[in-house]
Amino acid sequence: MTERGQMMDDAWYMDYAAGSLDSVGEEVLIASHLELSGTASERVAELERIGAALLMVAGDETELNFSADDIFDMDAPAVAQTPLAANDIDSEIILPEALKSFLTGIERDVKWEFLGPGLQKAMLWDGPEQEKLWLLKAKPGVAIPHHGHNGSELTLVLKGSFHDGEQQYCRGDVEEAGPDTEHDIRIDDGEECICLALTRGKLRYDSPLLKLFQVFTGL
Amino acid sequence: MASTVNFPGTALSAAVLSDLLEQVGQDRDRDAFRQIFQHFAPRIRTFLVQRRLSGAQADDLTQDVMLTIWRRAESYDRSKASPSTWIYTIARNQHIDYFRKTARAQQLDENDPHFHLNDDPAPDALVSRAEDVSTVIEALSTLPDDQRLVVDLAFKEGRSHRDIADQLDLPLGTVKSRIRLAMDKLRVCIGEQE
Repeated sequence: MTERGQMMDDAWYMDYAAGSLDSVGEEVLIASHLELSGTASERVAELERIGAALLMVAGDETELNFSADDIFDMDAPAVAQTPLAANDIDSEIILPEALKSFLTGIERDVKWEFLGPGLQKAMLWDGPEQEKLWLLKAKPGVAIPHHGHNGSELTLVLKGSFHDGEQQYCRGDVEEAGPDTEHDIRIDDGEECICLALTRGKLRYDSPLLKLFQVFTGL
Repeated sequence: MASTVNFPGTALSAAVLSDLLEQVGQDRDRDAFRQIFQHFAPRIRTFLVQRRLSGAQADDLTQDVMLTIWRRAESYDRSKASPSTWIYTIARNQHIDYFRKTARAQQLDENDPHFHLNDDPAPDALVSRAEDVSTVIEALSTLPDDQRLVVDLAFKEGRSHRDIADQLDLPLGTVKSRIRLAMDKLRVCIGEQE
């Protein structure tokens, strides 16, 4: 069974292993999680053997219209990747490689913006179905107002830790939230916390004041 | 359930394939690559066609995958993955990249009569097969039909768990618990063999 607070639901690992995730946002978040969690990456490696077995039993009677020699002809020196533009986040945390190469690919820098007292956000990517990949930075001890979700949310801890109720989440852990989940989040004392979040649909606040505030945050 | 498929002839063992990959990685050995090509390229193409790529798209992508194997064989580490798992992950990742770049509209029509899923060969046809393919296929055959279906839809058709829930008209939670049960069973069977 998966343990809440560290591992994700098996459905995500299967989708990752099968290459069937719905969006690039999910791929980046889960690939980052796998880099940080040995247990999770071992689990995915097991599932990749299923894919490999199904590849091996795929028929090989196909007549190909190209040969190995065509591959040698296609070979040309590999293009060097341009490094991620320097910005402040590199000095603060070590970003997972999957996230770095994604940001390089979309030529996106991390730009922090005000989100609330002690809170900053950096929007990274917008997908279909109101999907957003973004970074959240929170000062130690900050409480994030009680909220729910209209869609789903995956949150991967990159630095520091937080509690949602009794459950603690540390670097590499993923919190999964669905439309029924209510959050009561408090950042742990001592160190700021940075998370990579993938949200679908808008957050849902109970308080009318926060609903108004939401207009400005765009989340 | 599984019908007989015209099953490929001689299979190279995992150990031989690992040796060949190392020869390519260390010495840029073209003959070794030709054997790897012969073994994997047709299977990769079939696999991609199952994933709803057209013949021409599958040709392009198979060439890209083989080119990546040729270029990156150096990074293959036999202590970390079997050759088929290493090559599967390359094919999967390149398929994702390709898919992300291509509009979904360009995907092949599933009602196209040329589109069909192959049944797996019966487990007993695989007893003498190289690597641990037979272990995995055997483990899959022990799953109840409803669990087997979600695994097939994910790995063969490339459908996400959300997609599967929509397609089967089931609550997301039901699909997730089927996946969890299937994975727990497979882990027991597959995890023991190394």
